[in-house]
Amino acid sequence: MVKGIAITGMGIISSIGNTVEENYKSLTNITPGISEIENIKTNHKSHIKVGEVKMSNHNLAVCLKLPKNHNYSRTALFGEIAAKQAVKNAKIKDINSCRTGLISATSVGGMDLTEKYFYSQFQETKNRRFITSHSAGDSSTKIANSLGITDFVSTISTACSSAANAIMLGARMIKAGKLDRVIVGGSDCMSKFTINGFKTLMILSETNCRPFDANRTGLNLGEAAAFLVLESDECVKKENKKVLAYVSGYANANDAFHQTASSKNGEGATLAMKKALKVANLSFKEIDYINAHGTATENNDASESAAICSVFGKNIPSISSTKAFTGHTLAAAAAIEAVYSVLALQNNMVFPNLNFETPIAETNIIPETKLVQKELNHVLSNSFGFGGNCSTLIFSKA
Amino acid sequence: MLKKTHIQKYCSIKNNEISVNGDLVFSADTLEVKDFFKDVYQFLEIKYSKYFKMDLLSKLAFLSAEIILNEVNTKEKNTAIILSNNASSLETDRKYQNSINDKDNYFPSPAVFVYTLPNIGIGEISIRHQLKSENGFFVFEKYNANFHYNYEKSLLQNNKCESVLAGWVNIDKNSYEAFLYLVSEKGIIEHTEQNLKQLYNT
Repeated sequence: MVKGIAITGMGIISSIGNTVEENYKSLTNITPGISEIENIKTNHKSHIKVGEVKMSNHNLAVCLKLPKNHNYSRTALFGEIAAKQAVKNAKIKDINSCRTGLISATSVGGMDLTEKYFYSQFQETKNRRFITSHSAGDSSTKIANSLGITDFVSTISTACSSAANAIMLGARMIKAGKLDRVIVGGSDCMSKFTINGFKTLMILSETNCRPFDANRTGLNLGEAAAFLVLESDECVKKENKKVLAYVSGYANANDAFHQTASSKNGEGATLAMKKALKVANLSFKEIDYINAHGTATENNDASESAAICSVFGKNIPSISSTKAFTGHTLAAAAAIEAVYSVLALQNNMVFPNLNFETPIAETNIIPETKLVQKELNHVLSNSFGFGGNCSTLIFSKA
Repeated sequence: MLKKTHIQKYCSIKNNEISVNGDLVFSADTLEVKDFFKDVYQFLEIKYSKYFKMDLLSKLAFLSAEIILNEVNTKEKNTAIILSNNASSLETDRKYQNSINDKDNYFPSPAVFVYTLPNIGIGEISIRHQLKSENGFFVFEKYNANFHYNYEKSLLQNNKCESVLAGWVNIDKNSYEAFLYLVSEKGIIEHTEQNLKQLYNT
């Protein structure tokens, strides 16, 4: 029997939509959200493409009805919008009707504000309030306060696998009986810090990214937030909740290879996928769709392809990376893709891997390039972070 | 049934001396920490080019782990790593900050930046011994035998690993101290909070 921890609500804001419905529409209408950067002034403007949410901080704050003198980072603005949608979607009336936690992932935190106000804060004391929003925990605290969550609040920052680890921790806490309900996900806005950092690493593509293509040229950065509501079986039964899907498997493993790069043979990724299958008590043959990490960097796609080949052998199921729609949203990526995995299960739909032409010679993996309708029961979603922090989640049909 | 766990081997590196299972095995008169580490590296007859790019905290963690794990076949073993210290990666944080502050010679190097986290030392041990196991790095005021004992016991009793490489690895300015040990079902010293405390203090 494969079940797991019930997902009862979802919320999302990304470059392809401000709601779950809008995101689904963009995925199925093949409308990617990759564009030229507008919200941040950067010298790299003409040399990068990004998955940017085209709403100003002002408009986002208006959506949340924040007071004028607020000190929300863009990360917190996205996060609160997505988390509130998820809670609403789960039809939670009283957040404290059971032990409820929030586990939120971020890597950028309030860096966008620090970049703007760090030097002026010394003269203009009114700008100091923005600096206090710098830490990664600030957005989690703000989201928790706005939702009234007091039982357990935590922040996870493990680079690009952050949200996967947040979802995993939440699922494990429910399984262990520490919480009855937990809102899990992540949020990351774009910042000069990440643009310049990834530029220095020479892994930003000048054009639309091409996951799993032999001639891929790097990633497009993105910004987004997504949250899921996880609930224990008792909660679901007691309130007769509609279950959207289940988190049935999860695992995190390391590569023991390098401080930043992933190993060529994808050992950490292989371990993560195998462990997650074991937790879900599923054979690799039962996975119908892999929502890959597929960032379109030389290193990730080679490493992930090798790992997928060693787990699935010749029986590789439908596979695609949705990064060409949203860009790589770093700490939020696994939450965004968790929402897409649930949408895939609910609609029996594999979303396309855009911009793919030529397979990588060594592994010859050919992702789905068109929208494919087929029966889906189990979806495996990968997220790999710097330093070989490899996580895999498995979602199963409700 | 509860497993009987033991401290299989322990070592300490401090005051320019190395002792293993309580016996002094090496000492040197060097004044600088980095020179002493160099002497230790040579004494242990290690040949590992990645060693030279490590920061001092990672070097100390790496050298202590070499001593503990040299006779243990970690390839077949699922060895967890639980380390703690007081100064986190402060020594390297300062070095990195100084490279930012230096207006005449401004060069914040990514090679230094990667070591501005204490758990990178665990990464270096993992890479050297190919350990893809449970690990954690904790920052405490001082060596916390109670915390370590409980954490190590829990990992072993829940079959999360077959052995635990654990202990205290601290470096701050010119003072350094390492106390590392391996906990497993082998050995004669019983794995207890009291024994950990006592071995740390001797």
